[in-house]
Amino acid sequence: MNDPVAGIALAAVIVGLALSTFVTRTSFLLAGGRLRLNHRIETALRFAPVCTLMAIIVPDVLLHGQGSIDFSPLNPRLIGGVASALWLCWSRGILGCLATGMIAYSLSRVLL
Amino acid sequence: MTPLALERRAEFRAGQRAILPSLPGAAAWGLVSGVAMVKGGLSVPWAILMSLTVYAGSAQLAALPLIATGMPLWVIVATGLATNLRFVIYSAALRPYFAELAARRRAALGFFMTDFTFTLFMRHAQEGTLPPQHRDAWFSGVCANNWITWQTSAITGIVAASYIPTDWGLEFTGTLALIALVGPALTTRPAIVGGAVSAVVALLAHPIPYRLGLFVAAIAGIVAATLADRWQPAVSTRETGSP
Repeated sequence: MNDPVAGIALAAVIVGLALSTFVTRTSFLLAGGRLRLNHRIETALRFAPVCTLMAIIVPDVLLHGQGSIDFSPLNPRLIGGVASALWLCWSRGILGCLATGMIAYSLSRVLL
Repeated sequence: MTPLALERRAEFRAGQRAILPSLPGAAAWGLVSGVAMVKGGLSVPWAILMSLTVYAGSAQLAALPLIATGMPLWVIVATGLATNLRFVIYSAALRPYFAELAARRRAALGFFMTDFTFTLFMRHAQEGTLPPQHRDAWFSGVCANNWITWQTSAITGIVAASYIPTDWGLEFTGTLALIALVGPALTTRPAIVGGAVSAVVALLAHPIPYRLGLFVAAIAGIVAATLADRWQPAVSTRETGSP
């Protein structure tokens, strides 16, 4: 990628990607009053964090590898995820949750 | 310093503290993304430039194979837009909280908004203890620590790519940090219904590429949570027999 043409092309790609992130992140924030969802939809968006997080977490845990759903009790990510969730039921500590999950995940990868 | 400036500084610091426990997750995910960029064929300066300007791990990772195979620019940008589509939902959710601010400030807050910082902000804003005039100060504190941590670890990953083992599953720390964020929110019936629907749809929609499945799942979950929220009082008034 030292050739100048490739360099310009790569610069264009980076600018394009940066814009794709900036435009989506600032879309409604910048539109302000002009582009505004109705009040009922805006109220519904209080559920956005829970829903997007679950939509990221659950496939991360269950779809490891070839993209098939792995419900097997030997799935290390499932073991790690369940261990961290159990820790959270017992304590609200985030660091403990990360440590418990990583220990359970790593052990089951080594041992199973 | 004026009392107002002191208050804002205190809120900024409170935001910095609020994200501290989640930072190991951001650091691990940043490190793994940095390594992946170099292993995916980018040279060190380009990878650093991309990390600093794009600042979106999943979009960067989705774009890498397309860059390596020389796909046209519009395909790569379209992929970036699709992967980032969830940020449009986040942006819409944040709008009412920052509507009073100047456009430049709103643009800056948007630039630094990520899965982590958005979730933390929404939770704290809904607890009702955050003074409305200092929301942006608190959010800036959260974003500052997240940005510093992510960039430090991503650049470490880029520079030291060949020394960092990729088979330890470090990136799983990022998933665990998200679990720690979502756990305390799963306490009301609408949240549980929405989360469950969103998870199932995300699993069913996983063949759809570029995190579009995530976007669809989030919309389905939000609709389900809203319906669950609306039906709850309706059922209880019928049970109590009030007119």
